[in-house]
Amino acid sequence: MGKLSWLKNKLIGKEADKGLLFRALLYLLLVDVAFIYLKPVFYMVTTMVKDASDLLDPAVIWVPTGIYGGHLAEAAKMLDYVKSFGVSLSVSTLSAVIQVVSCSVAGYAFARLDFPLKKLWFAALLFTFIMPAQVTILPSILLFKELGWINTFWPILVPTLFGHGLKGALFVLIFRQFFSTLPKEMEEAARIDGAGAFRIFFKVMLPISRSAIVVVFLFSFVWSWNDAYFPSMYMFGASDVPLSVGLSKLNAQLAAEAQEGGLRAFLEPIKMGASFLIILPLLVLYAFTQRWFVEGVERTGLVE
Amino acid sequence: MSLLPIKPKADAERSGALPLRRRRHASTLRKLEGSVFIAPWAIGFLAFVAFPLIYSLYMSFHQVRITVTGVNASWVGTQYFREILFADGGLLYDDLFPFLKEALVMIPIIIVFSLMIAILLNLEFLGRSAFRVIFFLPVIFASGQIIGEFIAQGEGSLGIISSLRMDGMLARYLPASWAGPIGNVIGSFVLVLWYSGVQILIFLAGRQTISRSVYEAARIDGADPWSTFWKITLPGMVPFIFLNVIYTIVDLFTYPSNPIIGKVTTENYGLSSALAWIYFVIVLLFIAIALVIYARVDRALSPKRQ
Repeated sequence: MGKLSWLKNKLIGKEADKGLLFRALLYLLLVDVAFIYLKPVFYMVTTMVKDASDLLDPAVIWVPTGIYGGHLAEAAKMLDYVKSFGVSLSVSTLSAVIQVVSCSVAGYAFARLDFPLKKLWFAALLFTFIMPAQVTILPSILLFKELGWINTFWPILVPTLFGHGLKGALFVLIFRQFFSTLPKEMEEAARIDGAGAFRIFFKVMLPISRSAIVVVFLFSFVWSWNDAYFPSMYMFGASDVPLSVGLSKLNAQLAAEAQEGGLRAFLEPIKMGASFLIILPLLVLYAFTQRWFVEGVERTGLVE
Repeated sequence: MSLLPIKPKADAERSGALPLRRRRHASTLRKLEGSVFIAPWAIGFLAFVAFPLIYSLYMSFHQVRITVTGVNASWVGTQYFREILFADGGLLYDDLFPFLKEALVMIPIIIVFSLMIAILLNLEFLGRSAFRVIFFLPVIFASGQIIGEFIAQGEGSLGIISSLRMDGMLARYLPASWAGPIGNVIGSFVLVLWYSGVQILIFLAGRQTISRSVYEAARIDGADPWSTFWKITLPGMVPFIFLNVIYTIVDLFTYPSNPIIGKVTTENYGLSSALAWIYFVIVLLFIAIALVIYARVDRALSPKRQ
């Protein structure tokens, strides 16, 4: 089987990958683009560990003469890293877990179940997907103010309970797509055995949707980790802010210091250090999950 | 709005009455189950989408004052809309038109680039998994403010553009109103690549839907790789191209760093709401254009695809 499919892969299923010339071109292109993607990351890491003399020395561009942790420490202090990290982690994990559950329930309903006005609700789903959040942001602020939720995490978490929240419509669409590609036989068998929709969903469908769950969980986690818009709108006066908001505060602070005559050369490494601290947990998470993620993307039928 | 117009009939399953009645009971039960599943989402839609949407439309026709006791709204008619559209050009036009032109240039670049990368990543070659890991990095970076930091560093531009003096050439051969936005896009070309993360994923997933046997048949018929791409891969990817166009439009137009979006603030609720609505209509217009083109292309292709 392995040998055969390898042979098959070699023979078919690809358009134009024969010949050394093509291979060389392929690698050239991929390495180029990969370099473009990686360069800012390298720049970020190298800039942040440069000490004062390296920063001022025009001969030092990529490789610093030594590793200096001062900027990183400074950035961590300005971000209030431990506390903000805790806030970001709990908000992102909570909303990712909740969105996986609530969006999969809604996605399953759209894919397999029957309910009144289904077409209308599906149109509502598509509408939610394409609507810019800015259209509803001001009334939402007023609504949450009325409920006394401003400067808490409720405005971010409560909509996710209902399958909304950041990009919730997209996740419902992904789950709908995934469930509608699954074969119907299993559900029918379970139904004949007398299982209701709830048991079928939680005992049969969810356990086999690992790939879709991984994709949605990671997207949801990463997007809510990076999102600064909603937290800054709903939590402008809070002291416990997520890292993404911390970064904009840090930028504002540095800009103010620069106006008062701080050293320009030291702004970069601190900013880069802060960016690194924010992105690091995501990179670690991605390093551990990328295998499932890549596989999940191919199997989910993310799209029609 | 009543969500559950169906009366629950719990004993439907075991009743064993007439087949017709039983079927009706079963279908009622299924509808009930479906309603229970969709209810949370539907309630959320009403509370967090429909209500704010209508309220925002209401506010756009009113002067809104937030006081201690509550919200005071007084009718001003279409004053804010007129102000934005006709009186004060600065609020909408100065930022909107350059942005729209940039978007028009960016969308094709993003689509073509991500399609190309997805097809390449779909080939079998040594180190493919390592490249895949790298090419998914934008999904992590591009949604955050980190990308803003990178632009600020000048990491967005390609060195080759400035070394070849492309901007000068652009200025010479293009009308001034277009040279600016195109120059911007080229200047932040790398950034365009950073926006392609999810699009690459969608194309990769979509590419899996074209079955291998089609390529096999093409090979047996003696089709060369070039015509295989144009006759099989591209037509097969048309739905995904349009899905990506719509995703890219939605993504670009709702990006928090977008110039218009930054203008929706709590300073003036009425004016901001009117601006958001005008902006939303523009987004809808773009999507409608994409859909119309898609319908045309799909119709043109469908006899061939059969």
